[in-house]
Amino acid sequence: MNDTVRPPISWNGERTDQLDRRHRRAEQFRLWCAMMTGAGCLLLVVLLLNIWLGGWRWLDWHFLTSYPSRFAAQAGLKSALAGSVWVMGLTALFSIPIGVCAAIYLEEYARPNLINTIIEVTIANLAGVPSIVFGMLGLVIFVRGFALGRSVLAGALTMTLLVLPIVIIASREALRSVPVTIRQGAFALGASRWQTVYHHVLAMASPGIMTGIILALSRAMGETAPLIMIGALTYVAFVPAGPMDAFTALPIQIFNWVSRPQQEFHGLAAAAIIVLLGVLILLNGLAIYLRQRSQRRIG
Amino acid sequence: MQTIRIEKPDVTRARETVVTEAAVLEAKEVTIRYGDFAAVKGIELTIPENRITAIIGPSGCGKSTLLRAFNRMNDFILNHSISGEVRYRSIELYRPSVDPAEVRRRIGMVFQKPNPFPRSIAKNVSWGPLINGFKGDEDALVEESLRKAALWDEVKDRLQASAHSLSGGQQQRLCIARAIAMNPDVILMDEPCSALDPISTARIEDLLFSLRAHYTLVIVTHNMQQAARVSDYTAFLEAGELIEYGKTADIFTRPQKKRTLDYVTGRFG
Repeated sequence: MNDTVRPPISWNGERTDQLDRRHRRAEQFRLWCAMMTGAGCLLLVVLLLNIWLGGWRWLDWHFLTSYPSRFAAQAGLKSALAGSVWVMGLTALFSIPIGVCAAIYLEEYARPNLINTIIEVTIANLAGVPSIVFGMLGLVIFVRGFALGRSVLAGALTMTLLVLPIVIIASREALRSVPVTIRQGAFALGASRWQTVYHHVLAMASPGIMTGIILALSRAMGETAPLIMIGALTYVAFVPAGPMDAFTALPIQIFNWVSRPQQEFHGLAAAAIIVLLGVLILLNGLAIYLRQRSQRRIG
Repeated sequence: MQTIRIEKPDVTRARETVVTEAAVLEAKEVTIRYGDFAAVKGIELTIPENRITAIIGPSGCGKSTLLRAFNRMNDFILNHSISGEVRYRSIELYRPSVDPAEVRRRIGMVFQKPNPFPRSIAKNVSWGPLINGFKGDEDALVEESLRKAALWDEVKDRLQASAHSLSGGQQQRLCIARAIAMNPDVILMDEPCSALDPISTARIEDLLFSLRAHYTLVIVTHNMQQAARVSDYTAFLEAGELIEYGKTADIFTRPQKKRTLDYVTGRFG
């Protein structure tokens, strides 16, 4: 039994067996990880290709600017696109101030006591609640309770409930990553907590917060279940003019088209998915742009 | 262990014999606890005006805790409690009517690790005064503060560059400039050179001498040579107790306590 790991002093400059084995193992692991990455990418490419091949023929200006129709050749997703934009806009309007302020409170002001712990645990749990449950909640509270009906506003408020936990958790994470020393530096200059948070902590956390918000909104953009639950319509031949109007949204329109027996409508669904993905990529691009811009500013 | 008991600090005598200048900060029977743990135990200390006072001692002896008590920076630590009195120019700092922000406007602080704000060099200097209602000439304030912190010549051509583009030593001098811009009465420094190389350290030590005329300085350091080089008075802490306090020359050449002698001659710690 050797009691030292030092190799023999006599050495011809070549790798010894023991080290060779370790290097082979490391190489195997690298290959394995690369394969897994490749598998993920491949699946995604196949999926995108499949959708693109199914839908690209339907994708034109007419498709974007027409209302749905029972004739596939005339059908478009104007109302669904408009509905999605309306719902997302209002959801952002509601969820950003509430979510960011809640995160600031929990991260910068709240002391660890029982009530705050309960709030934290509840928020973490809410992030894992299935979206259809939020749909039911929205139906009971907003559609019936507040008598908002099947309106854009009811849909947006339901979506706000859905994304709030995600926004809060992402924002808290971003706030927590700001070094304590920055806060100390500000306090040592006689700054109030608000001045410290607003001028430095929030400024430094904003790229992370923005990324979290946009990811949460992207998720909401693709959510169908809660909107169906609160009774968003599947056939809407008008663009919502205000928050109290009925609406439909992209995923609902896709769901509607997919569930029809005619082959043409499946093509329309694929085209609508391309549009939805396009909007999501745009949103994510915006997130990256905002992130890099504010990072440059912070330096 | 037994020797520590025997050499319990004779604080009253120490205070009488030490400081002859006007007192700016005074600690009276100050005990600071984190939960049940007493980090600082019954310390009596007087910080003289326009002098550099060094607080030395082994790691974990409570020197930083004591320092932060002077501008209420311990307030942010949960489970922290303080008893006794901390006075600044005869005002008891822990009186309920005292706003901690008001304390920190008068008693500035420089931290162990340089912590400039992620903004421009100029903004780092002017931010403190601006949020405190400064209405004067911002550019003049920035220049004057940077000059006093011996940084002006190095950064005058790039005041709008990010503070993070500076080297560690420059960042620490920027933090000193930031503190100076508030025109404080006292500047507390918590191991300001521990993250810096010897050349940057030397520059900061030179800077301390030039600041001495305008400000009262308290510097915590684990570097005894530094304390010996820069300070007028030295307090030696061990395990939360003030072992000895006196003129730096006395502490380092003829300490009255054996513990002090052991520490400053490097026999322990």
